[in-house]
Amino acid sequence: MIGHMLHINHVNKHFGGNVAVSDVCFSVEEKQIFGLIGPNGAGKTTLFNCITGYFPVTSGEIIFNGCIINKKRPDEVCRLGMARTWQRVKPLCNLSVLENVMVGAFASTNSPRKAEAMAREELEAVGLEKYGDKPAGSLPIGLKKKLELARVMATSPKMLLLDEICGGLNHTETETILEIIRKLRNRGVTIVFIEHDMKAVTSICDRIVVLNSGEKLAEGTPEEITSNPEVITAYLGGSHHA
Amino acid sequence: MIKQSIISVVLLIIAIALPLVTGQNPYITGILISVLMMATLASAWNIVGGYAGQFSFGHAAYFGSGAYTTMIMISVFNSNPLLGMVLGIVVACLIALVTGSIVFRLRGHYFALASIAVAEIVRLTVLNLEFTGGAQGILLTDVTFFSLDLNSKNPFYYGMLLTLALTLAITAWFHKSKTGYYLQAIREDQDAAASLGINIAFYKNKSLLISAALTSIVGSIYAVYIRFIDTHAVLDLSLSIEIILTAIIGGVGTLWGPLLGAVLLVPLAEMLRSNILGDALFRLGVVSESSAIGMFLKDGLAHAHVLVYGIITVLCILYLPKGILGFFRRGK
Amino acid sequence: MAPSTYRGNLTMLFFQSLISGLLTGGVYALAGIGMSLVFGVMNVSNFAHGDLMMLGMYMAYFAFTLLHIDPYLSLVLIMPVAFMFGYFLEKVFINRVIHHPHQNQILLTIGLGLIMSNSTLLAFTSDPRILTTSYSSSSFNIFNDISVSIPLLLSFLITCGITAILYLFLARSRTGMALRATSQNREAAQLMGINVSRMSAIAFGLGTALAATAGALIAPTYYIHPLAGHSFLLKAFTICVLGGLGSVVGATVGGLIIGVVESMSSTYISTDWKDVVVFALFLAVLLFRPQGLFGKKGGQ
Repeated sequence: MIGHMLHINHVNKHFGGNVAVSDVCFSVEEKQIFGLIGPNGAGKTTLFNCITGYFPVTSGEIIFNGCIINKKRPDEVCRLGMARTWQRVKPLCNLSVLENVMVGAFASTNSPRKAEAMAREELEAVGLEKYGDKPAGSLPIGLKKKLELARVMATSPKMLLLDEICGGLNHTETETILEIIRKLRNRGVTIVFIEHDMKAVTSICDRIVVLNSGEKLAEGTPEEITSNPEVITAYLGGSHHA
Repeated sequence: MIKQSIISVVLLIIAIALPLVTGQNPYITGILISVLMMATLASAWNIVGGYAGQFSFGHAAYFGSGAYTTMIMISVFNSNPLLGMVLGIVVACLIALVTGSIVFRLRGHYFALASIAVAEIVRLTVLNLEFTGGAQGILLTDVTFFSLDLNSKNPFYYGMLLTLALTLAITAWFHKSKTGYYLQAIREDQDAAASLGINIAFYKNKSLLISAALTSIVGSIYAVYIRFIDTHAVLDLSLSIEIILTAIIGGVGTLWGPLLGAVLLVPLAEMLRSNILGDALFRLGVVSESSAIGMFLKDGLAHAHVLVYGIITVLCILYLPKGILGFFRRGK
Repeated sequence: MAPSTYRGNLTMLFFQSLISGLLTGGVYALAGIGMSLVFGVMNVSNFAHGDLMMLGMYMAYFAFTLLHIDPYLSLVLIMPVAFMFGYFLEKVFINRVIHHPHQNQILLTIGLGLIMSNSTLLAFTSDPRILTTSYSSSSFNIFNDISVSIPLLLSFLITCGITAILYLFLARSRTGMALRATSQNREAAQLMGINVSRMSAIAFGLGTALAATAGALIAPTYYIHPLAGHSFLLKAFTICVLGGLGSVVGATVGGLIIGVVESMSSTYISTDWKDVVVFALFLAVLLFRPQGLFGKKGGQ
């Protein structure tokens, strides 16, 4: 088990009679970039919400860094070193960009001065240093995504869960975000990455799990996944382009 | 930042010196005390309502805790008012903890509704119990506090001023501290706040406790100042609403907004209550005092300040939803 | 006193308070349904609801004293007037804050409520008025000695009729279905071509009409004064939360439960404490079943 940063063990999530996640297992190694893909409604975001403590799992175990976290609250999960971003970005609109990132930094320090210094560093890492004083609500979507990244990085996480961080972005913006993610991995952060865009995923991920209707359909390297006939059927038959 | 400090020092000096100017006129001093009181209440409410974004509609319960505990301690146990004040804080914090633990897990409308329910339970309980004086309330004939002359209004003026300064100092500290940032993050987006490691229930409770304690202190001072309390005066829902309106109109989530709201609204209410408008019209001979309109002005307008509050609230929400200060800040 | 008659008296006391509780509860339900409808369709907590009830009381009072129309008959007049008033309020005020944070909506409706209650205070003074009809205090007995107040029974029956019509309207009519669709998912309803802003105005109009009707129905058995709305506001909220915010069926059952709880606590504890019991119940619901008896779990 050594080296397993995150271990998802037979996780089920039901909403009433609906099965959103069904008996999913996989493990993420340290410093991996791990992709979680699948058509709409495959249960990717639900699984993220279970891992980060927003939904209780119906059954199964989630082990992060040697610690069972499926009974923990979201803030506890974050303080254990697992941070997440949101598919629909959630900037703290009336706070400035710098203050948004400072809120993240306060997870590891009590001193406002240290938090500000950390925040400035992270803003620079994503290229937002010029926007520090702007209200977060006023940024365009591409920059809001970068702000999300800077903000979660400020919490000094061991692992990042990114929920469609490239969603709604154009090609160039996607490239910059992917570049930032590679840099983050070089800083030693393990990354789990939900994405729709197969191209983005296959270009960056070390390993990929495909979910379909809540079940694990396939797991493997990007090459294995792209040549897997079942995956191709699920994707072409899926309604993600509708 | 430096500008802010200069403003506060200047305001404080003016406030300290004000009774020297108005000291001969107890009526004016009385209004000033009301302004300070409402400013403190609105500023204290602002900590939980404006910064944490949790709109409490039951702050009268905390005000009443301070007032009732102090009055009972003085009239029954003949204790020092200060002891009553401290116990009042304890009672207010207990009520705040009960409210917080029930509803801070929930979102949206629930906190507002539950805070009203808790406040109404407190009000009805006080009304129905014996030792709280029931509907008669509690009247205090004599009270001493060290060697201060409590027949003068000045001690109360300075007491309120001190509490206001304390409340604003805490608020200003929030502006620069982790707690302050966390409260604002909770106000802006709870899910995002939790994902950044913020223990939401803990910080909401913390802000509510601080706010309740400060509100309770004001209640204690008020009770000794007026020397008479009943549920209508200190526990009514309308008091809670007045506190919120003062903060809203000045600007929630700003340091000076609630103070500004009180400076504008309290004298306005006083003018309507004491019928300055009607008197002016009579004196100018525009309206005869005995005519139907005159009678209406005399009897009716004295009660009209709540109506005016209502109109101001509606206009404020529609045209200045961030309050006066919020409006100007956006304009900058 | 023989033990058997004593037990008999106790049983009777129980049924007596059960029946008067259910009868009053019916009217509460009406107020609760109005609030729930507004909440469901618009996601707005209407803090002016109690004051709208109070206006209904005054309308019934003046219809009776000035126009000599029986308070129950005057509903034919009051309901359309109240509906139009609500429709107007929504179009002019509420509509403009529908996408604001809920605190602003609460404050706006509080402001509107203050204007209504205090204008009434200025116009009609704070003296309570009493609407006395020929049958105001008449009652008849069932099962030996359980007395049933005639005005309360009439109110209850009218409530049942209105509720039934409302159910049919929501279930069968085009507008009713559009209202329910808006309540389920505002954005989806809009995509389906439903005019959601019109639905909001209709919902608020209906809510107002139901509040005013409830007010008119209790007018013959209650003191009519400008601040009468406050206590009903809190009751209406309790009913809505008990039934699950936004659920019309829930509000109906919630109203009956609150009526019975209130009447039982008056009988077995004391009249002074009945409101405390109601609010304690409210907090207990929030603590143990915040989605209400009929609400969907995890809906918020």
